[in-house]
Amino acid sequence: MANRRVLVKRRKAARNIRKITRTMQLIATARFQAAHTRATAGKPYTEKLTQLMENLARAAGGVKHPLMAQNPEAGRGALIVLTSDRGMCGGYNTNVLRAANDFLAAADEPVDVSMVGKKGVAFFRFLGAEMAEAITDFGDAPRFDQVEPLANRLMQRFAAGELASVDVVYTQFVSTARQRAVVERILPLSPETPGEEEGSADLEYEFSPAPQELLEELLPASVRVRIYQCFTDAAVSEQIARMVAMKAATDAAGDMIKRLTMQYNRARQTQITMELLDIVGGANALE
Amino acid sequence: MAATFHLSVVTPERQVLDGEVKFVALPAHDGEIGIMRNRAPLLVRLAPGALRADTDGGPRTLYIDGGFAEMAENRLTVLTEAAARPEELDAEAIQAAFDEARALSIPDDAAFAERQRALSRARVQRKLLP
Repeated sequence: MANRRVLVKRRKAARNIRKITRTMQLIATARFQAAHTRATAGKPYTEKLTQLMENLARAAGGVKHPLMAQNPEAGRGALIVLTSDRGMCGGYNTNVLRAANDFLAAADEPVDVSMVGKKGVAFFRFLGAEMAEAITDFGDAPRFDQVEPLANRLMQRFAAGELASVDVVYTQFVSTARQRAVVERILPLSPETPGEEEGSADLEYEFSPAPQELLEELLPASVRVRIYQCFTDAAVSEQIARMVAMKAATDAAGDMIKRLTMQYNRARQTQITMELLDIVGGANALE
Repeated sequence: MAATFHLSVVTPERQVLDGEVKFVALPAHDGEIGIMRNRAPLLVRLAPGALRADTDGGPRTLYIDGGFAEMAENRLTVLTEAAARPEELDAEAIQAAFDEARALSIPDDAAFAERQRALSRARVQRKLLP
């Protein structure tokens, strides 16, 4: 008797949870589409910038810039870690934080960690690990003007010779079916390998100001946009991770409801059979 | 008769403008520069300012926050980190930025240049307000 009531209660709980996870899945799907549109909207800018840089590097004939310098005597690195503000997204944050920890363990000099996202901040606090910066106000649609100050700060420190390297740990969006946590080196910039193939490179440009000066402006812009792109990629990946996690949760809840229903029916049947046996037994005893 | 060329204005976040134009005036780093069809290939740094374009649907104005412009084979590409249509500008925010810039102290030349940049940025934006 008591068993039946417990089963009904549990089934109801599973149903409610399924309702919530399904809603979260739908929300994540909508957010993913928005984030994806945003990420693709920035592609033309990046492509054009890269192309311009190649043209310029060719025209300037070799490039030298503080952002390309090696600063071995700086004795310090910087790492930006991109995690989410909210949970319920499966292994998303775990993977990023594991990659970050591996990076930190392998680094042979102190690293200033700029932690983005509440989840990462909470994890590092729990570990008692040091963070140079904790940023939790980016939300899930990072804007360029939010990322810009962070990028500028790191570039300034790098150019001043305070940092030997700047890396970003984030979840790269490979395809809708594949995202992985990667460490990407932002600074020092690797010297562009001049591509020989494209045809527009033969154009004789008029430069204003001189190519060398233009490059000095272009390089920081390209660093900013690369960091920004890490942010948009991470935002897209986060929504996918949440979508997948919530889909799994919804399915699991469905399975559980099925199993509970079966148990409930069996319990009910057993009880009916027992009652019948009682009645039949009683009737037999009277004869 | 339409001697047009292609103009696209892109930021890291979105494509602000994309279409055929007859004439474009750009805020270059050393003054305004006008571009028409068949201009020689050009690569120029921009300063914060107003971009004016003559499109089929009439003149258009955009606020451009610096960046670069490339003209090649009748395609003009403007790369900027921020761009806004006049109707997207916020009068109060501009005024606030202006006042804040004016209140900056000037300990050295770099700070002075910074202040001037912020001031001129706010002035240009204010002029563009609808």
